[in-house]
Amino acid sequence: MNNYIRTTLKLLVVLPFLLLWHLNSFAQHQVTGTVIDATDKTPLAGVNIVIRGTTLGTSTDENGEYSLNAGSETDTLMVSFVGYETQAIPINGRSQIDVELVSQTFEGEELVVVGYGTQRREDVTSAVTSVSSDEFIQSSPRDAASLIQSKVPGLSITAPSGDPTEGTNISLRGTTTLAASTDPLVIIDGIPGELNTVPPEDIESIDVLKDGSAAAIYGSRGSNGVILITTKSRQTDAPTRIQYDGYVNVQTIHKAPDMLDAEGVRQWIDEYQQLQDLGYDTDWLDVITRTPVSHTHNMSFSGGSAQTNYTASLNYRNLQGLFIRSDNEQITGRFNVRHSMLEDQLTADLNVITRSQNYFTGADGGSFNAFAYRNALTRNPTDRPRDDEGNYVYRSGFEYENPLVLINEVNGENVERELRLNGTLTYDPIEQLSIQLLGSFNQWNETRGYAETFKHVSAVEGGNEGFASRGTGTNEDKLLELTGTFNETLGDHVFTLLGGYSYQEVIEEDYWMQNYNFPTDAYGFNRMQSGNALPEGEASMNSFKESFKLIGFFSRLNYTFDNKYIVMGSLRYEGNSKFGADHKWGLFPAASVGWRISEEAFMSEVDFVSSLKIRAGFGVTGIAPSDAYLSLPSLQFGDRIYNNGEWVQGVSPARNANPDLRWERKEEINLGVDFSLFDDRLSGNLDIYRRDTKDMLWDYDVPVPPNVFGSIRANVGQMRNEGIELGLQYEIVRGNEFTWITNVTGSTNQNELVTLSNELYETSNDFFYTGYTQPPIQLPTHRVEIGGAIGNFYGFKSVDVSDDGKWIVEDKDGNPVSQTNASLDDRHVLGNGIPDYNLGWNHSVRYKNFDLSVTMRGAFGHQILNYQRMFYENPTLTPENVLESAFEPVFGKTRLNTGLAYVSYYVEDGDYWKLDNATLGYTFDVTTLGFVQNARVYFSGSNLLTITGYKGMDPEVDISGLDPGNDPRDKYPTTRTFTLGVNLTF
Amino acid sequence: MKYLKRLLTVSLFAVGLLLSSCTDLSETPYSEVTAENYSPTAEDIVSLVAPVYTPLRFGVMGFHTWLSAQHESADVIVTPVRPNGWFDGGRFNRMHRHTWTATDGTPNSVYNMCFDGINAANRVLLQIDTGEIPIEDGREELIAELKVARAFYYAILLDSHGNVPIVTDFSITEPPQQSSRSEVYDFVVSELNANIPQLSETADQSTYGRFNKWAGKMVLAEVYLNAEVYKGTPAYQEAIQETQDIIDSGAYQLEDNYRDNFVRENQNSSEIILSVPYDEVNGQGNMFHQSTIRPTQQAVLGLETQPWGGASSQPQFVDSYNEEDTRLEDTWFTGPHYIDVGSNEPENFVKDVPRIEPPGTEFYHGYPIWKYEVYDGIPVHSDVDFPFYRYAETLMIQAEALLRTGSADEAADLVTQVRMRAFEDPADAQVTGSELQQGSSIVFGWWEEDGTITNPDPGNDIEFGRMLDELGWEFAAEGHRRTDLIRFGVFTTKTWLNHQPNGDGKILFPIPDGALNTNPNLTQNPGY
Repeated sequence: MNNYIRTTLKLLVVLPFLLLWHLNSFAQHQVTGTVIDATDKTPLAGVNIVIRGTTLGTSTDENGEYSLNAGSETDTLMVSFVGYETQAIPINGRSQIDVELVSQTFEGEELVVVGYGTQRREDVTSAVTSVSSDEFIQSSPRDAASLIQSKVPGLSITAPSGDPTEGTNISLRGTTTLAASTDPLVIIDGIPGELNTVPPEDIESIDVLKDGSAAAIYGSRGSNGVILITTKSRQTDAPTRIQYDGYVNVQTIHKAPDMLDAEGVRQWIDEYQQLQDLGYDTDWLDVITRTPVSHTHNMSFSGGSAQTNYTASLNYRNLQGLFIRSDNEQITGRFNVRHSMLEDQLTADLNVITRSQNYFTGADGGSFNAFAYRNALTRNPTDRPRDDEGNYVYRSGFEYENPLVLINEVNGENVERELRLNGTLTYDPIEQLSIQLLGSFNQWNETRGYAETFKHVSAVEGGNEGFASRGTGTNEDKLLELTGTFNETLGDHVFTLLGGYSYQEVIEEDYWMQNYNFPTDAYGFNRMQSGNALPEGEASMNSFKESFKLIGFFSRLNYTFDNKYIVMGSLRYEGNSKFGADHKWGLFPAASVGWRISEEAFMSEVDFVSSLKIRAGFGVTGIAPSDAYLSLPSLQFGDRIYNNGEWVQGVSPARNANPDLRWERKEEINLGVDFSLFDDRLSGNLDIYRRDTKDMLWDYDVPVPPNVFGSIRANVGQMRNEGIELGLQYEIVRGNEFTWITNVTGSTNQNELVTLSNELYETSNDFFYTGYTQPPIQLPTHRVEIGGAIGNFYGFKSVDVSDDGKWIVEDKDGNPVSQTNASLDDRHVLGNGIPDYNLGWNHSVRYKNFDLSVTMRGAFGHQILNYQRMFYENPTLTPENVLESAFEPVFGKTRLNTGLAYVSYYVEDGDYWKLDNATLGYTFDVTTLGFVQNARVYFSGSNLLTITGYKGMDPEVDISGLDPGNDPRDKYPTTRTFTLGVNLTF
Repeated sequence: MKYLKRLLTVSLFAVGLLLSSCTDLSETPYSEVTAENYSPTAEDIVSLVAPVYTPLRFGVMGFHTWLSAQHESADVIVTPVRPNGWFDGGRFNRMHRHTWTATDGTPNSVYNMCFDGINAANRVLLQIDTGEIPIEDGREELIAELKVARAFYYAILLDSHGNVPIVTDFSITEPPQQSSRSEVYDFVVSELNANIPQLSETADQSTYGRFNKWAGKMVLAEVYLNAEVYKGTPAYQEAIQETQDIIDSGAYQLEDNYRDNFVRENQNSSEIILSVPYDEVNGQGNMFHQSTIRPTQQAVLGLETQPWGGASSQPQFVDSYNEEDTRLEDTWFTGPHYIDVGSNEPENFVKDVPRIEPPGTEFYHGYPIWKYEVYDGIPVHSDVDFPFYRYAETLMIQAEALLRTGSADEAADLVTQVRMRAFEDPADAQVTGSELQQGSSIVFGWWEEDGTITNPDPGNDIEFGRMLDELGWEFAAEGHRRTDLIRFGVFTTKTWLNHQPNGDGKILFPIPDGALNTNPNLTQNPGY
């Protein structure tokens, strides 16, 4: 395969030289005219007018007038203006050409990006949502998903962590898998990537393929939905344009936990004597936090002609976290050049993205060390970080350390680098046919370094002199795709036929080493060989490498009759190397139909309906396991025995190999309606779906003997998700100077684990436990039951407290019993962590030069396990600090006098409604300046206001995986962000 | 145009290639070895045999493993809830109260450890049988060693779970049939008798950590000693015979210093007959010290990482010691100890353990286990080897068998021999035949939070109770106690600390839930 990649790359290298191939001749022909708006007939200033195929051009003056010398009388004028449709007007010997430009917003033919192509919005027959850049949420986005938060019904996007290195948490239409990844497939300009591959500022539009019939063309990768990102680029005649977007933001903690301060400790000390009064007054959270200031700059320029054009951009982000030293710095460069020739028959597209990111690591391999935060909460506020000489105060207990030491006395840095090279060659031999060859080579690598100084607790108390760790990982992703598209219109029949082949190979490697007992801590992690632990065999190192291949053949037929009846059918035959020899290939069919009722003759009488379409689709997608080699009977060298004075490595089977391992399949039915009413003022869509996951991958128990291990990864279970999604948009005010658009998105999903058994494997129980409460409670948080939904909290149901402060819980028959006498059989379902309903409500207002957007978002009908209360709302703790509320009577009766416990008292309703974002912008009138085309400033606030009964820091918690709704005590606190930004176009 | 033509030619060429191949989906493993790529030679035999022994290393001194199952269910050691946890979903409480179930990880780990070892032994035996492992020299001895190791795992199962399937052929892929405890006893006895003669008689580094003839005979002797429990028919004479063979061999002798059996370099002990070797680096798995030394003692004892400190002694057992017996302080961490370097706040370890359930106890309640050396700079994984069988046990098995067959005075001589090093004054070490025939000096009964005993139940009604006490003092924290309590009829009849009898069914652990649910041929042990 390397040869093909190499060939492709060679082609791509040759291409720039071809760009020089340029024909031009000069003659003179004067053309003048006026450009006006087609709707209100006002003159348009600054409209670009360029001769097609050249760089010759001009723009209209304040009166919309222009004058230019064309090469010949047969040239064509390209007239373009932001927000309007570009027109191509052959001169045909005329010298006076007046132009009426049509606004894109109302009349434009909206194109939707679907897998391997685009479709007219009205021809789409599956659940696809498009969001373009003017609808994006513009407020210090973390990654691409932040831009479309609450804009896509059914796509739940949350930001549960305030860590500047963390992105968003995405879930689409419920949990469909137990053992495989739940991340959606992200495609950036046709190439798989991540949500942070391109900076949010560089994105033109995002399309989300939600249902199986749309995603099935991506086969095994499409099960969790597909997010298609289109980056900004220009492919028309236009003068060079430079754009700058920049913003600065500050953050404040969303809500800090109310721990006792020094005064509070002294107040309770006589009564409880849990904390010693050490005589000082320290706000530990204050010691390790700051007011972070972050800034982001994005510069892009684009230009060229219709034949040859380019877009280049440079993005720099310097993000500070709430905690000292916590940061994330990233620089991304992107260059795209495109050239077409032979009267647009052949087009070459070259794209390079390079990204470099580095951030502080407060823990080996991680970002900020959450343990430091925990200690800032639990440390005695009458203690102090440093003594009078400025030396650290080390006062240790079980997991009880000076948080300042944990942050200051480490050196850590993670550096990630990514290089993405790709090229596309498109050949259109005849008008109807387009053949495309795409090659892509992505390389990601990471180097990690972490060291602890001689002042760190590991040296002062543990006796390790210095600790250092170094590691690196790399991921190589090669992709080659060949597609052909054939379009034909025969009277009322419109066909589009797509066929293609896709080859992807991924190689992943990682190595790391650790060492300690260094002669000095000055080396940090930069001289690993100096430590003594590695040569003495005490420190460890590790390396691994694995690879997999994914090959697919696919085709799709779109057929429209009379502009009313639409049919789509697709098929993907896909193979993955991870499966057993006889099960590598899977067939993933999809079909959908649509009926544009509004185009029927009988609807012509119904004036208020602008468009109405009903659609239905069915599609099958697959899921592959995350790990490779599961079907191979491998051996491993490892555990040693002592034999005659030597430790000899043993060799034994690595796993119960499953040669029958095959695809997990998800079948999805989707019914939907799209409508637009009252002259397009009210538009919307409604979708209902059912997703059935079959042959679900899970680790099933098997008997030992005859098996070597007690479990095997196999295809057995079934899961079902059903739900409804609604999106509505209404133009409250439509005018020239004042527009006000509001939209609402809502969704609900129901999940059921149907079975975890089949004729081959039977699960031991009809449930399994998941989630963990950590010591000292040490019980699972969730139970997944067959016939039940993912996300059920499972624990003791506290109904009362005894006079001596012990929990009274409900036993299995519903009778109250003291928790000390309760057995594990007395646990109950205490709620569910996944919201029943997600709702979003957005406003977009424009008045003269002002624009205002407001995003509100909420989730309802779910519970959250509040770990901070579970761990810190207890007055008996030693020697740790506790929440002020620990001294409040439980159930209004008496103070708690028992150890930490996982009881329903800490499982709270998680319903919330957030004023998520408000952005106010002002666009300056810059026509007089000449060199500036557009200038806008904006001020924005995020996570501004939360209405909730939840007592924790932020009800927006992680709802992914099998233990949703846990709000861990060490979670990096979320923040409120205030942003000041500017957009400039030159 | 020339460029273009070339370009198109190359594209078409590429397309042609794509369609003709590139559907190959075979996997390329890098950091693992596939079975087909590995053909062992005679030099690999130790590597191939290793998986037969490694389950012991993980299954003996690890957390929630065999040692824990033997201790936590008995009256010497307890792990109460501590300020840093140790509730662990209630598993220690259930072990103490005999309310464990078929899903409890601790007893299940014993079952799993044994079948891991049995599976590995069967796999290697099959590989030898089919010639996959090329071995000529020492073939018979290796086969005998594997069969003795397999019988050893079955001897543990015979004691812990009783009614288990007997599997001897790795090539059978059907779930096996269950055998009764009596059948398992017969299998173990016949396998050991048939294979011990082929084993090496060497007792030195070359057989350390593996089965030689004497280790094989210790397994057999212990099975015979418990024959009445396992099979219903005593076999004390056989136990005397097997231990006498070991004594006569002269291969082992008692160490002068008791603690030399438990120090970092205990591989040099001349007393250890079967060892489970551990190493800080190469043979990790002994985290016993981490589970008993308290977090507050890290700096003062020089532990590399903070220990978690949970397990401790039980007060009623501690009270039974003769105060002259040096094994009390050799086994337990008693009295005041400084908790931090430079600190003047001592932590005074007391024997009292007020309660076992939440909110639990303080770190100083109960004596931490001090038997296995906590040497300076000890990391999470200790170097100390686990002495599975010591020569002291050879003598004590014979003593008990003699005692039970009417030779109390001869038994007393052997017990005195073992006691001698534990007392400064030899007169204190002396024990007589009539003393051995007395009851136990432990006062059983429910332990209250204030340190009193409700309904005290002195153990003087226990037949040969003194012998039980002797075993307790000598072998505390060595994994004997559950088996000994059962043999002396105490396990399901007496009350200690927060434990009350919970039925005779608890003599056997339940067949693990996972095994029952995956193998329809298995039925649960009675009482579960």
